Amino acid sequence: MAERPEDLNLPNAVITRIIKEALPDGVNISKEARSAISRAASVFVLYATSCANNFAVKGKRKTLNAGDVLSAMEEMEFQRFIAPLKESLEVYRREQKGKKEARKDKDKKADSEEQDKSREEENDDDDERMEEEEQNDDEEVDN
Amino acid sequence: MAGAEPGVAAAPPAEEPGSGSLCAAPLRLARLPLARVKALVKADPDVSLASQEAVFVLARATELFVETIAKDAYVYAQQGKRKTLQRKDLDNAIEAIDEFAFLEGEFLVGLILF
Repeated sequence: MAERPEDLNLPNAVITRIIKEALPDGVNISKEARSAISRAASVFVLYATSCANNFAVKGKRKTLNAGDVLSAMEEMEFQRFIAPLKESLEVYRREQKGKKEARKDKDKKADSEEQDKSREEENDDDDERMEEEEQNDDEEVDN
Repeated sequence: MAGAEPGVAAAPPAEEPGSGSLCAAPLRLARLPLARVKALVKADPDVSLASQEAVFVLARATELFVETIAKDAYVYAQQGKRKTLQRKDLDNAIEAIDEFAFLEGEFLVGLILF
């Protein structure tokens, strides 16, 4: 599955931003230097992937996982990346988990809010309460 | 490790213990688009599948790599009393630093051509 060269490049704007943030204020980058760094970054991904894949194969797994990538960093002598990468991974995992739970919570909350409303209005209009319950049912169906 | 409670989603706090790492916002999620990184991963014929986490870690690692190589190259610009990073600074850094050996010559050509 041959990819066109453009597909294997990382976006210039992002690369440039990362470079600028790594360097002191007032420092510029020539177009050639930026382009060379961008290509180096692509090669880095390819090389790291290849390394990581070796670990997956050794573990008799068909799917590359985060641990394989960390092992690859070790192998490539980028050990100093490992700690910050682990931290980032923790945050990423919490975010992913949070997203799932936020979705669940949102649905639960919506349901219980509907139920609370109907309880409050129990003494009032019966019709209204039935309306609430219908809405409640709709929400469940959506789930 | 960070004392955040599980299930608390939302943006990572700016300061967390042990965050004195390579860049200003070490716990920021990847800026490189994961889809592009994934395209590079898939370009390897030996790789069948990669988990989303693996792609994320690769993206973050690549960002750290870009920071690192930019800083290392900048040392040479400083030596040349320049405030503009040039291609030759990159070349010097790659030649001088062992970890960047994979960027040199044949290996590079081999990877690009698959």
